[in-house]
Amino acid sequence: MDLYGSGERLEVIAEEDTEPETETETEPEPEPESAQEKLHSADQGADRYGMWDKSSIDLDLPTREPYVLVAEKTGEPPGPGGGEMMAAVGGGKGLPGNKETGSPPLSKFQRFSVETNESLSFEPYIPSDEEGDEVFEEEEEEPGTGVRGGSAGDTAAREAVEGLARGDDDDDVDGFCTECKTPVLSSLGLHNNHRVVQIPTAAEEVKNDLCDTMRKLEEQIAQMENFAGHLEEIFITVEENFGRQEQNLEQHYNDVIQTLTQRYDERASGLQDDKKVRLEALYAQLVHCGKTLDASKELIEAAQEVHREEDKLAFLEAVIPTMDRIEDFTKEELDLKLSPSIEFENCAVDLSDVKQMMESINIVPAPSAPVINPQVGNSAGSTTVRVCWSLFSDDTVEYYELHYRPVLENSTLEGTQPPKESNVKVKETYRTVTDLLPNAQYEFWVTATNTTGISPASEKAVYMTVPSSPIIKPRECTSCPTAALIRWESGNSNPVDSYTVELNEASDDTTTVTESIVAVPTCECLVQLQPGRHYCISVRAVNIGGPSERSSPVTIHTTGTCFHLLEDTAHPCLSISEDGFTMLYEDDDRPISDMIFSDNTFARCVGVLGELIPVRGTHYWEVEVGESTEFRIGVAYRDTQRNGILGGNNTSWCMRHTVTPSRHKYEFLHNGWSPDIRITTHPCRIGVCLDYDMGKLSFFNATLPQHLHTFDCHFLHYVHPCFSLDHPGALTVHNGIEAPDCVRFV
Amino acid sequence: MKSFQDQIVLKTAGSMALTQVSSNKCCGGFQKVFEHDSSELKCRMKFGIYLPPKAESASECPVLYWLSGLTCTEQNFITKSGCQQSASEHGLIIVTPDTSPRGCNIEGEEESWDFGTGAGFYVNATEEPWKANYRMYAYITEELPRLINAHFPADPEKMSNPGKYKAVSAFAPICNPIQCAWGQKAFGGYLGADKTAWEAYDATVLAASYSGPQLDILIDQGRDDQFLSAGQLLPDNLIAACTEKRIPVVFRLQQGYDHSYFFIFSFINDHIKHHAKYLNA
Repeated sequence: MDLYGSGERLEVIAEEDTEPETETETEPEPEPESAQEKLHSADQGADRYGMWDKSSIDLDLPTREPYVLVAEKTGEPPGPGGGEMMAAVGGGKGLPGNKETGSPPLSKFQRFSVETNESLSFEPYIPSDEEGDEVFEEEEEEPGTGVRGGSAGDTAAREAVEGLARGDDDDDVDGFCTECKTPVLSSLGLHNNHRVVQIPTAAEEVKNDLCDTMRKLEEQIAQMENFAGHLEEIFITVEENFGRQEQNLEQHYNDVIQTLTQRYDERASGLQDDKKVRLEALYAQLVHCGKTLDASKELIEAAQEVHREEDKLAFLEAVIPTMDRIEDFTKEELDLKLSPSIEFENCAVDLSDVKQMMESINIVPAPSAPVINPQVGNSAGSTTVRVCWSLFSDDTVEYYELHYRPVLENSTLEGTQPPKESNVKVKETYRTVTDLLPNAQYEFWVTATNTTGISPASEKAVYMTVPSSPIIKPRECTSCPTAALIRWESGNSNPVDSYTVELNEASDDTTTVTESIVAVPTCECLVQLQPGRHYCISVRAVNIGGPSERSSPVTIHTTGTCFHLLEDTAHPCLSISEDGFTMLYEDDDRPISDMIFSDNTFARCVGVLGELIPVRGTHYWEVEVGESTEFRIGVAYRDTQRNGILGGNNTSWCMRHTVTPSRHKYEFLHNGWSPDIRITTHPCRIGVCLDYDMGKLSFFNATLPQHLHTFDCHFLHYVHPCFSLDHPGALTVHNGIEAPDCVRFV
Repeated sequence: MKSFQDQIVLKTAGSMALTQVSSNKCCGGFQKVFEHDSSELKCRMKFGIYLPPKAESASECPVLYWLSGLTCTEQNFITKSGCQQSASEHGLIIVTPDTSPRGCNIEGEEESWDFGTGAGFYVNATEEPWKANYRMYAYITEELPRLINAHFPADPEKMSNPGKYKAVSAFAPICNPIQCAWGQKAFGGYLGADKTAWEAYDATVLAASYSGPQLDILIDQGRDDQFLSAGQLLPDNLIAACTEKRIPVVFRLQQGYDHSYFFIFSFINDHIKHHAKYLNA
């Protein structure tokens, strides 16, 4: 037991030992404070892992395959083999030098074996704390003997083997072959062609594998549980169904028997009655015959009596009435016919109804009318609807027939043909009907049919197809850093209930909608946005059937303000380029009378208005002008006088550039007045900054940037960019530009 | 403002000693006047400095140098212009030097209001008896900025003089002194008869040959300024030179204003914003 003698060594072991302990999350070991405590704690750890003994054996081991030993051991009860190991334990104890180096890998190996649940797990052999303590005590009692008490024999033997196994590793194992699933000594080279990794890595890998396997198992369990639940349900249903069938059968048979009994009774009493009637008739006839017979006999006797009369005269006198009576009597014909028929009427027994009843025991009744469901959300497309219905649970149905026809809004009008009815056979209790018109109502009803017959029709249900997608009009959408005004066409000829505007920040994933604005009643919507982002905005039309498909999106960049020119305000001489941002005033020889002016077009100055988004805040845009272009650029109220000149009235503010023979002249005009300002460098790109909040309209030479002038004016209404050209030339508007910093210093 | 005082004590351990003459809280900051011995001018000089609230939180602020005109001292601007409001808002330090050396006992320095004391013209005099003391150009472009940067939380990157200053603006400037009576008198006195030496201090001449970094110049001029009509200021010459050289100038002829501080007060905010735009960029 010299290993207890050296505190240093124990410290080493203790440190090494605590590491795996914490990692394997066994009980946390308190920090050892003295050498003795360290020693004790080391022992505890060691005992838990069965370390001391094992570590001392390894030298004598003939093999480097610790698993062989363990496998043997698990296979056989501890017997002589164990004893041998015991001896080996004793022998090994005298060689502490090896233990020092051996201990740390041992502990690692132990950790590995416990955690991975490999087939060669040592788990069963890890002595419990109690056992460990016992062993430990014994060791202390009998230091250096190498002989264990019999009571601890088994444990000790196991530990010995185990220790042997691990002890072997202690020295050698420094890697783990992932193919042989074996800890190896990499220097041996036996696994040269295999992937050998560090033991902790290996442990981690195998642990991960195990976790995966466990996860799979868990999934399987979940699946099985689901399936079992399903089976239970089916079980109950089947049971119920059979119960119902049994009931049905019994009832049917009872009906048949009852009917038969009734028939029997009816026929039996019929027979009785018949018998009675006939017998009575026969009896009456018999009685009548008897009477006739008596009368005949009486006449004969009377005749005989007359015949015997000796006295001829008396005879003659008497014979005449007698003769008359006989004559009378014989005149009556004898009724010798049987008055009642004695033949039995072989009346055929009509059992057809019974037969039918018997048959009907095996056939199902015709179904009752199915119940059609009202339309549910998301069941319709623009040309399709999914119709659902249900039947009474005991009905058997071979197929359904779904009937539908469009509901005409103006069907009450005279002379309209009732719309054509369509129908379709369906096996299921639902059907997706296609080729319908968008945003239209259809009425549906359904019948069920089986071998017995057809059910009555269900109630009629009205389903509605969703509208067609709206069409966004990108040229009429305007935006600024904090909002966008989106405009669209309905895309449907008849009105829809509302629109839903969906926006998401543009990214790879365009399907996730970050915000929806619902119940938009008109074909435009002002959407609040965050500055400096990119948004994809699309629109759906909605009716009671649900929302349409998304329109193709419009992309909005909230870097700057974007507007478009209102071409309907443009003076006839001013043409707007294809992209809508360049305005061109060309020499036009047309007489004024040839030009078409509307109420909305600028008539006096060759100008045009832009449409700015109706959002207060700050807007910035730039205008590219030529060196000698004579222009007026600024803002104006939407209703600024069309026959006025920009800057010449109190509804417009503008910067004017003119070229005089001596110099470029710049004016900042409002209400016809301008301050006297000289500018030494001609601005070829003019920045215009409109700040509603501060009530300022500023002009800049955007290329420098140089502040040129600021109007202080509190705008009562929204203003719009305005442009005009005093002489032929061109102006180009640049939108979507972030306002430069200089606009803050005006 | 204890922190400033501490700093000052610390820094005045060197050669450049500052003495605080006055300190008044103003627009959240402090308007102070200091006195010091100028090595360039060889006399005791005063200057005003406005320290905005931002300077108190020890962050560096850009410095605006205000050069007053004829007859002024450091006091005129700080008491009349109302510059502090806007300077406080934009976090600018405003330094207002005096307009000339004082008390140098040079013969004739007190004789006229447009030459000598109160009329330094910001040139380095080369003629006797002025050349020893009248080195206002060196004073305001070198000595004073050095002093300010050493003693105050000034951002040395943000200051100027064409090529040295980031932004320029002026109220009713003498745009072409070579061509006007004031300039001819002063330049003749300080610089001698050789007019080529004058050109180094003439804005119009300088503009015509300017090749430094891009400038942005703001000039306000009262239309009813008596010196404008007297042909002392000659802004058109400067505008023409700048137009020629494509130096960006916005020149605003303000109707009804004269040459007084009432005029300056009316437009000082525009000028401070003009500087703030560049200095705070």
